[in-house]
Amino acid sequence: MNGTLVNGSPPSLLGITIRRAATSGRFFLVYGTVMATLLSIALAATGGAAFSSAIPLLLPIFGVVGSMGGLMVFTNDRLKGVLEYLMAYGIPPRRLFLDVLETSLLLLTIVLGIALGAGVSFYLARGHPLPGNFVVFVCAYTLPMSYVSSAFAATAGMFWTTLSSPREGMNSPIGLIPLIGVLPPVATLMIVVLVGATGTVTPSGFFEVAAAMMTGVAVFVVVLLSLTGRLLRRERLLSPA
Amino acid sequence: MGTSERPRAEGGISCRAVSSGYLGSQVLREISFQIQDPAVYVVLGPNGAGKTTLFRTLAGILRPYRGEVFIDGFRNDRQEALDRLHYLSHMDGIPNGLRVREALEFYAQVERASPADVDRVLDLLEIREFAGHFLSQLSAGQRKRVSVARVFLRERSIYLLDEPTSNLDPKLAREIRSLILELSREKIVLYSSHNLFEAREIGRYVLAIKGGQLALFDRIENLRGSRFVVGVRVLESSPAPPEGFTREGDYYLRELPGPEAVPALLYDLESKGVKIRELREMNNPLEDLFT
Repeated sequence: MNGTLVNGSPPSLLGITIRRAATSGRFFLVYGTVMATLLSIALAATGGAAFSSAIPLLLPIFGVVGSMGGLMVFTNDRLKGVLEYLMAYGIPPRRLFLDVLETSLLLLTIVLGIALGAGVSFYLARGHPLPGNFVVFVCAYTLPMSYVSSAFAATAGMFWTTLSSPREGMNSPIGLIPLIGVLPPVATLMIVVLVGATGTVTPSGFFEVAAAMMTGVAVFVVVLLSLTGRLLRRERLLSPA
Repeated sequence: MGTSERPRAEGGISCRAVSSGYLGSQVLREISFQIQDPAVYVVLGPNGAGKTTLFRTLAGILRPYRGEVFIDGFRNDRQEALDRLHYLSHMDGIPNGLRVREALEFYAQVERASPADVDRVLDLLEIREFAGHFLSQLSAGQRKRVSVARVFLRERSIYLLDEPTSNLDPKLAREIRSLILELSREKIVLYSSHNLFEAREIGRYVLAIKGGQLALFDRIENLRGSRFVVGVRVLESSPAPPEGFTREGDYYLRELPGPEAVPALLYDLESKGVKIRELREMNNPLEDLFT
């Protein structure tokens, strides 16, 4: 046998986790990217308010769907005994958790980058000047809501996976988490629509609702992450015997 | 650094009054043993006895509720200990969505092995022919070969192999046992199996686990009975084995000098056109460990 005894810290697996997530979750990634991009281009073609208001509101929903690959890798690795293998080589559960979280956020960045890039380019190419409120809307709502929702979906999905019996299909975490992950942006929209029906919603009122929603979800994610050491017992990551 | 974290002088595996289990439910109870000599140590026991829990505890995946495990003198919650271990789970441990070569490259990255090591194990386990196939396209046996291949990527001093030959055809299982035997000349190999013939073929020591406790730790030869009788079951389309066998139910029985005579018997039967469905030891003393 070749090779010598190895020593030292276990290597980072973030790169290969990203590659695997892009492969395993390619359906979600392609679906989220294509839908967001088509919508972005279609609304850019209409020009005006439809583009500058609808796109920032809808992108987080497709972004969350597109970032599911990380969770798919985690769920499958637990089922197949890969997490067990990685722990045996010194990779701690918290590192496994964070790799998946970072992977999900990177996939989200791909979806947002492509959709926003395509939509804005098309909009500008048609000779429309980019509205100032569009940039504000994207920076103050689309980006933070997307990242918070994606982190929520990945974190809640991983905890759910570890707390439930391993299973696949539509009633598994992978089947349901996309629906749960899009709850923050959808709930924000619903609140705004309901409040708007009374004629009391204003731009600042919208941002207040959105900020409250994002803060609440972000706190939930941070609390879950801070509790990984206590809640995420190593036994929970093992494949079924 | 506390006393218990200090490297101990002794090498190998030192398991000291270890109790372990899952989410507070105790499976292993006060297990103690010391292993220092290179050899294959077969871990036997009925289903649910705690074999897999023992492997997971030795590998540092499960933390003991009580007691300590030392690997080459380092407590097994330290990276120095884990760097000396190879652990092959009874599950494939094969990442989804990859081709065979990519999966081995994944393992190589985890184990800090080189691309040359990947090429070496592709040949060693005879999996080069499907190196470009997706893992989902492979049979259970082929997947097992990929899984076993990774323990040969890098050299370590202790190997924990949980059912490494399950799902393998007899020929490949024999080849892998041969690799493991070769390995055990210089390394400590803990090996669990439900196949008693296999256990006697490669094991020098046996650790029997019953009800979460270590029921026996001894040299296998000390357990051997005075007679070694094998039973051969043949396919319906096969001719009967030649003379020298006695019939008992579906089995043709024959007494041999010992397990080392089995390969010659197999060769002899195959050369005479006998199509073997099953070959088993009829009076294996290890069977008593399951009752």
